[in-house]
Amino acid sequence: MFKHNILLYLRKTQKHKSTFFINLVGLSSGLACVLLVYLWVSDELAMDTFHEHDERLYQVRRNVPVAPGELATFSTNSSLMLTALQEEVPEVELATAVYELSNMSRLEAEDKKISAPGVMASQDFFKVFSYPLLSGDKNTALTDVNTVVISRELATSFFGEEIDPMGKTIAIKDGEEEIDEVFTISGVFEIPQNASRQFDFILPYKTFLKYRDPDDIAWYSNSSNVYVLLAPKTDIKAFNEKMAGFVSKRHKYVKGEQVLFTKYSDNYLRGNYENGKQVGGRINYVMLFSIVALFVLSIACINFMNLSTARATRRLKEVGIKKAIGANRESLIIQFLSESVLLSFFSLGCAVLVVLLLLPWFNTITGKELTFAIEPQVVLVLFLIALLTGLVSGSYPALYLTKFSAVKVLKGKINTSFGELLARKGLVIFQFSISILLIVAVGVIYMQLDYMQSKNLGYDKDNVMIFGIQDGLIDKVDVFLEQAKQLPGVVNATYMQGGMTNFNNASGGHSWPGQTEESKYITFRHAHVGPEFIETMGIELKEGRTYLNEKPNNESKIILNETAVEVMGLENPIGTVIDMRGPNREIIGVVKDFNIQSLYNEIAPMALLCRTEWISNLVVKIKAGEEKTAIASLEKLYNEFSPGLTFDFRFLDNQYQELYRSEQRVSTLSKYFAAMAILISCLGLFGLAAFSAERRRKEISIRKVLGQTVSQVTVMLSGEFMKLVFISILVALPFAYLLATNWLSQFAYKISLHAGYFIGAGLVAIVIALLTVGSQAINAANKNPVHALKDE
Amino acid sequence: MLLELKNIFKWVNSGSQRIFLLKDINLSVEEGEFISVMGPSGSGKSTLLNVIGMLDQFDEGEYYFFDESVHKLKERHRSNLYKEYIGFVFQAYHLLDDLTVYENLEMPLLYKKYKGAERKAMVADMLDRFNIVGKKDLFPAQLSGGQQQLVGVARALISKPKLILADEPTGNLNSKQGEEIMDLFKQLNEEGVTIIQVTHSEKNAAYGSRIINLLDGRMVK
Repeated sequence: MFKHNILLYLRKTQKHKSTFFINLVGLSSGLACVLLVYLWVSDELAMDTFHEHDERLYQVRRNVPVAPGELATFSTNSSLMLTALQEEVPEVELATAVYELSNMSRLEAEDKKISAPGVMASQDFFKVFSYPLLSGDKNTALTDVNTVVISRELATSFFGEEIDPMGKTIAIKDGEEEIDEVFTISGVFEIPQNASRQFDFILPYKTFLKYRDPDDIAWYSNSSNVYVLLAPKTDIKAFNEKMAGFVSKRHKYVKGEQVLFTKYSDNYLRGNYENGKQVGGRINYVMLFSIVALFVLSIACINFMNLSTARATRRLKEVGIKKAIGANRESLIIQFLSESVLLSFFSLGCAVLVVLLLLPWFNTITGKELTFAIEPQVVLVLFLIALLTGLVSGSYPALYLTKFSAVKVLKGKINTSFGELLARKGLVIFQFSISILLIVAVGVIYMQLDYMQSKNLGYDKDNVMIFGIQDGLIDKVDVFLEQAKQLPGVVNATYMQGGMTNFNNASGGHSWPGQTEESKYITFRHAHVGPEFIETMGIELKEGRTYLNEKPNNESKIILNETAVEVMGLENPIGTVIDMRGPNREIIGVVKDFNIQSLYNEIAPMALLCRTEWISNLVVKIKAGEEKTAIASLEKLYNEFSPGLTFDFRFLDNQYQELYRSEQRVSTLSKYFAAMAILISCLGLFGLAAFSAERRRKEISIRKVLGQTVSQVTVMLSGEFMKLVFISILVALPFAYLLATNWLSQFAYKISLHAGYFIGAGLVAIVIALLTVGSQAINAANKNPVHALKDE
Repeated sequence: MLLELKNIFKWVNSGSQRIFLLKDINLSVEEGEFISVMGPSGSGKSTLLNVIGMLDQFDEGEYYFFDESVHKLKERHRSNLYKEYIGFVFQAYHLLDDLTVYENLEMPLLYKKYKGAERKAMVADMLDRFNIVGKKDLFPAQLSGGQQQLVGVARALISKPKLILADEPTGNLNSKQGEEIMDLFKQLNEEGVTIIQVTHSEKNAAYGSRIINLLDGRMVK
């Protein structure tokens, strides 16, 4: 029987190629979307879960009051946290502190120089985390202050595959930490692909402590990440309650600070904190795209259902005959379901090919290295997805077509019932609503991204080069800057700590004249900058002056932004002496607010300080149009100061773009998904329109014979479907509005939604649907009525 | 006795009116009979045939088939019963267009769980008997009306039914083709198959051993 059904199916397919094609294209694209998203999602979900004690691996965070009733969550901790946890908290089985070097460090061995990111970690690092240690002992690899553990890639780059790097030495220099020493290799580790953190070498935490100013080893100085392995069966909720006041009882500066333990593998997907609580993060996009992919697939399933039931008359004869001959309903349902499942598996085959073709492209968009490996788990998932797709899309036709009695069917007494028409129309409306929703999403995301690119940030991000200060430059920055300013194409040059796009440093516990109890705990962002920083960046000075090249005098001065002056309540800020990052600083200037983070965040109170020891980057403003000359001459100058090092520079506007990389990804992906959804919906509409034109052939002919014009008939035929599209618009737009408002609410600076976005999306849907249906309608309306009537 | 209908009523409600399709039908059919049902259009001939064939329900009355009370049977049992004992021949042949002659003949057997080899033998036997071996790989559209109906009859016979129900089997055929089909029925009847046919033609009705006349759902003597 199965063979029979397959034969029947294949022969029907040959006869009705267009229906088959529409279903195949739809289901294949839908399945391909689902497969790509599945690969992406499973990769995202697997991030950082390779650690053996994943379930017990927690990170220590701090919730710090930044304004009355508002908490900010920080992941850095004092280096004192490590020993305190180890000694005082029985629930902590193991703990490790990790300091992340903020810049690339210079590594030198075997006459090779390599820049690589590194961390400094305490003894139990390899016991808390499960990064595979290829050589070395996980108990002792990080105990000796003069040792280093390096990644396999780094070992290969320096020494080749053949040679065992254990015991060899590497010279490591780090400008910011002022490290310049030779270390002996005590281990080689590997970073699995699904690790969110990438680093190439690990120095012992003892080294970190060695280079610290003893004053900075204090409870208020937070620079290290602390990770713990909790004892099995620790109740995390109770534990967090118990530990909340762990830090605040130790130091007056950190009053109100609460300690929070969060699962380490959650960081990657749920890394956002709002008022001290985890509020999602990448997981939002993971969920969003899973849902969108399923929607695209369901649109394809709907095509299958609609086309199958619309063409039911063709199948009903078969149902009637089979029933009369002795088939029961179950066997017919099984027949129809096996047809849809067969199509679904056929589509799966096509989808797999499509995925293989698109994977490199998809990897570029998502910034991943996904591979499509034929593993049992993947095969099982594919099988289940295809089976489910087949069953879902076949369910309605199977139940619908087999319910009629043989007598009725064979006598042709079947009238399409109202309910059934409603169901079919409802499905079309669902398809188009989803498509319209996606069109609005694409529009809103695009406009918001565009807005973020072009918004006035309060500084000029164009034509600004940034590069790290390397060894040769460290002591001669001022000389370098003086010479750089003379170079052709250079407008101005200065230096700063960190980057413009992220002023990560924050501190509290400052005091100033007229401070109130409420404003006592305000946290200020701060960065050290060089003379003429304000001019170089094009930041507007509201009052006072900028830093001049007059150190060490600058170290007792401070420049604030408008927001800072406002929250501090200073009437005449210039000349006021305050205590901030050092006692007795005189306010010499106030700058207009400028954005120092991504536009998700409001502008925070901020201070610009000037102390050369803390700086890490040089900032050079160059003339538009003279980039080439400027870069060439800067490189030459750079090489004079740091011979043998590559001139590794970045442009500020690129750095700024990078803040929104995930939004860019979402934008690109949503564009493709929306296109997919529209395409599949239109294919379905096309099929339905063709069918409707065919079904109404006689009616059209009679109307034409009675004097209706071609255009009237066209309008009549298209109108049937355009009504559905209009209803879809009405259904979709309220949801679209809610979703758009919701998405935009996370940005502190955002576009205002206006009717144009929604009207535009509606128009796009209408135009696309009109083109799809119109061609069929015109075609049908232009047919010679004689032929149709003669057939009767 | 093959089957017996006792006081069968069938009606539809149209508004407040009840329209009777079958009215107090009493009929018993012995094995080996050849019955022709006649009557004007709309007199309930096909309905009666469908009721006998268990494709259609009735609203009142009793129906015994081989002493089984059909009116008390569940759908599944009823379907088993007619699968086993009844074959249909339709006016419009009702062959499946996408299957070949061979596959069309094989289809009823598929719903009865015959083994592959058995099916093959039965289909071959039927092709042989109706002299259509040469046409076994053709599709219905490639056959003449008479040939299609021949396949239709063969399909009805293949599962060796006790009773063949034929709804105007010659209605779509020319007179020569019609005659051939009627001859075939007569021959089958002589071999022991019970036949009930609906027909408009006096000539075809004459092939039967008994004629039942229907008018407005009633049997008239």
